[in-house]
Amino acid sequence: MKQENNQPISGTDFKNYFQPSSLKEALEIRDKYRSEVKLVAGATDIFVQYNEKLHEVENWLDISRIEDLKKIEKKEKSIFIGPLVTHLEIIKSDLINKHFSALSAAALEVGSPQIRSRGTIGGNICTSSPAGDLLPPLLAYEAKFHLSSRKKSRIVESDEFFTGPKKNILKDSELLTGIEIPISDAEVYSFWKKIGRRKALVISTLTLNLVLEFENDLIKRAGLAVGSAAPVPVRLKKIEEKMLGKKLSQLDYKKIAEEVKNRISPIDDLRGTKEYREDVAADIMVNALEKIEKERVSG
Amino acid sequence: MKKYGKGMASIMFGFGYGEGFPDHSIASIEIMEDERIQIKTAAADVGQGVITTVIQIAAEILRINPENFEVIQGDTHKTKNSGSSSATRQTYFTGSAVKKAAEELLANIYHYGSIEFRSNHPELGVENGRIFLYDDPDDYITYWELARRVKESGNRLEAEASFFPVTYEPDEKTGQADKVYVAYTFLTQVFEIEVDTDTGIIEVLNVYSGLDLGKAINPKNVEGQIEGGTVQGMGMAVMEDQIIKEGKTLNAGMTDYLVPTSVDIPKFEHSFIEDEDSEGPFGAKGVGEPTLIAASPAIANAVYDAIGVRFYELPITPSKIKKALKEKNEENK
Repeated sequence: MKQENNQPISGTDFKNYFQPSSLKEALEIRDKYRSEVKLVAGATDIFVQYNEKLHEVENWLDISRIEDLKKIEKKEKSIFIGPLVTHLEIIKSDLINKHFSALSAAALEVGSPQIRSRGTIGGNICTSSPAGDLLPPLLAYEAKFHLSSRKKSRIVESDEFFTGPKKNILKDSELLTGIEIPISDAEVYSFWKKIGRRKALVISTLTLNLVLEFENDLIKRAGLAVGSAAPVPVRLKKIEEKMLGKKLSQLDYKKIAEEVKNRISPIDDLRGTKEYREDVAADIMVNALEKIEKERVSG
Repeated sequence: MKKYGKGMASIMFGFGYGEGFPDHSIASIEIMEDERIQIKTAAADVGQGVITTVIQIAAEILRINPENFEVIQGDTHKTKNSGSSSATRQTYFTGSAVKKAAEELLANIYHYGSIEFRSNHPELGVENGRIFLYDDPDDYITYWELARRVKESGNRLEAEASFFPVTYEPDEKTGQADKVYVAYTFLTQVFEIEVDTDTGIIEVLNVYSGLDLGKAINPKNVEGQIEGGTVQGMGMAVMEDQIIKEGKTLNAGMTDYLVPTSVDIPKFEHSFIEDEDSEGPFGAKGVGEPTLIAASPAIANAVYDAIGVRFYELPITPSKIKKALKEKNEENK
């Protein structure tokens, strides 16, 4: 039988609800309560996870009022995105559109307008779902994550951050304080594809992001990442390496696609079979290379 | 690569309980002194629009603006049985009961009107909530005034009617009877789709519907029924799938049990065939459930047209399409 929902409208059933306005305060609370405090920003994941059982959470750390974490800033050779930047703000940002169009495209396909308005990039990263739609672009653009605790700060590569389904290297004393993505001077082309079983409000069956930087027609840097195809969103570095220093015309698209298929490890689940994901990943990889080829020809 | 296909399906649907069940509906209607006409019916409007429909029917019979009506629905103190809002039956059954009650009431308006004017009904006109003598239309009595005068005489300006059509149980061996259902609704739909051969995803582009519904009492409402029903049928064809493992439903929530969202909905064009060929109100037939049925076979036919693969199991998921395409490619090698 369905249990009665015991969640009152204003919280009297939790011990603490912290809503600091500065990062310093937030880190102090995080340090004091560690795993005993539940982090919340846009709440789009946690409200689903804790649907009708919010009363199980004793201490809340709501970081949504920390203005310093809401900025998108251009630095000398990178763009710095605050973890509280919402999907909608990513879509609307000229800076991000200009330099990381695949990230904008991915944000545009997340959930629904309501979820895009509330859900944050930091939330998408820290939830660490293998199906997190912003994650493949962050991997492919070689984003770095800034992590801070009360005493220390560190910067980690995005492809070292995710360790398993909904698992990451963030310590219980740390917060994600920024996402830094390098800007390239080269000619950059990107491809983003989300495969879902309907057009909105759907968990991705598969996502693929390819970023290619060219210099004199040669591939100078390649970023290739796939979501929903392994326990974590994965960057396929071995395949990237094979494209380096070559012209697009020198690549065997079918062979690269076959490699993509061999290097992912999807599972059978409600959203699609393992075989489906492997076959589609291969076909989409060919689409990705063909699209970039076409864009380069048309200039 | 995207492959275009179109597919068609036609359905017929006998609505109401039929098969000899004592299916019926009772409605009553009363003219109040405070410029309201009250319809009482137990028919539940669950969004399909039966309340709008019965008001239109009564307004047409009583020759008065629909704005004057109010409906008491589903109140066990005040209403009698109208049967369920199921089996695509309310427009037909309750629509008919309300129509009959309104006709009785109109007859009562003539009856009491003829007493007031000391005349016979052929001399009387009824229009816009007024009764008058054709010889002197300016000397009229409003329905509300008439209701007041009728009340003074110890009566009420009201009527009640039931609609109780007969059907017959089909013969056990042949399945035949004189009338198994009260009437049949027919629908033909053509679906235009695109199948993405890389992703196996079906996109429904356009749906063209020809609906034989007797009479569209509220055409907008009928469009809503067609679109709503068809989208549910689309969900059945390409998305909805209860996955059970060891007695447990794995997708017992709207996150994983998918139905189409507003952005998945195709473009629609409809045409109505209005032959007024039933005993329902103004010849109308039911249109609720029939609108759901053609989608799956039409989409399956369109998929065959697009990629040459026949599917015999729903939903036709991207995984199934992709697998079928792969097998087809290998056969052709």
